[in-house]
Amino acid sequence: MFLDTRPKVPVHVTQTDETFPCAHDESLLQGMLRLGRKGIPVGCVNGGCGVCKVHILEGQTHPLGPVSRAHVSAEEETQGFTLACRVAPVTAIRLEVTGKFEKPFRKGFAATANA
Amino acid sequence: MGIMRIGHASLRVMDMAAALKHYEKVLGMKKTMEDKHGNVYLKCWDEWDKFSVILTPSDQAGLNHVAYKVEKDSDLDELKKKVEAYGIKTAMLEEGTLPSMGRMLQFNLPSGHEMRLYAMKEYVGTEVGIDNPDPWPDNITGAGAHWLDHCLLMCELNPETGINKVAENTKFMTDVLDFFLTEQVVVGPNGAIQAATWMARTTTPHDIAFVGGPRMGLHHIAFFLDSWNDILKSADVMAKTKTRIDVAPTRHGITRGETIYFFDPSGNRNETFAGLGYLAQRDRPVTTWDESHLGSGIFYHTGDLVPSFTEVYT
Ligand code: FES
Repeated sequence: MFLDTRPKVPVHVTQTDETFPCAHDESLLQGMLRLGRKGIPVGCVNGGCGVCKVHILEGQTHPLGPVSRAHVSAEEETQGFTLACRVAPVTAIRLEVTGKFEKPFRKGFAATANA
Repeated sequence: MGIMRIGHASLRVMDMAAALKHYEKVLGMKKTMEDKHGNVYLKCWDEWDKFSVILTPSDQAGLNHVAYKVEKDSDLDELKKKVEAYGIKTAMLEEGTLPSMGRMLQFNLPSGHEMRLYAMKEYVGTEVGIDNPDPWPDNITGAGAHWLDHCLLMCELNPETGINKVAENTKFMTDVLDFFLTEQVVVGPNGAIQAATWMARTTTPHDIAFVGGPRMGLHHIAFFLDSWNDILKSADVMAKTKTRIDVAPTRHGITRGETIYFFDPSGNRNETFAGLGYLAQRDRPVTTWDESHLGSGIFYHTGDLVPSFTEVYT
């Protein structure tokens, strides 16, 4: 593997029980993407689409940019909900994925199409 | 003649400085104006009207409205009657509601998206002018997009409850605004559900498209480039500027377009799109894609559906 000597902290995704190392200057989502890992859904990586919504259960993050209020309300934000593409880890993180892909054409039709 | 083409898209952005940098440096647009509310107006080098993108400051991403230009001012009165006769409320926004623009006919599509029609927007000219012009200007930056080409709107589609705003929009666009259908995706038993449509007023395969999803929203706005090589270059520009690429350069089966998808800094999806595809005509038979070929329709080479492409939008 290529050497990346930046100091990192572990990010643990509870649902998949996966842990990946994430640097302090990258978002939780970028850290995951950089390693080609999975667990948190990936969308715009720019805070607008909301698919990467997570609940931070343990640890501290710092903001990298605005999060869409269409997906995370101000109140939710105080409760630890945020977008994984908009926060970087300060300490080790344990999180739960709450965002999910919404399914256009495919899924809704599976039942009707295969009936 | 009614509607000529797409005129502009008004987008919500969460960080104006970052958004402006993106539309200038990546797409190669130029800022032409800023109003007292902090909205920023931009145009591409090959466009002659004052703007084709409006960026409005917001706490979320997404589309405010999309506007199409009609040929004559009187078209607005005629279309107002037709839209209202169809059962959709309209409002005539007076001249100056948006700077450098004449009056606008405002209404919502059956899907809920706000559409505006207008006949007048201030003429400023292309970067190469009209007298013995060069084919392209020397001050092109970034991808050097020629013009805003089309938009794709996500429309609510729920077969269980029988809601299909794709079909409703398509019927409205056909019956009232006189668009014609070029391609469609049909799904379900006997292809009974029209799940996505591509529609035109010009001679390109689409001036607007509708795709079914769980909720209404904006899938993308697209900008025109000449060639496949320009698509490659625009991908290089995105790599240089650390722009989030959604789908690397490829070809669509639907419309035959050569394409790359990426996100603006607020997560609104953009496309740069090249190639004529084919000459869209009213008497050209409609192309139909079925459920089992949907992957190839979208990404012709791999035929794979990319989750972030089909399931993420603002
Ligand atoms: S990936 Fe779109 S908001 Fe994070």
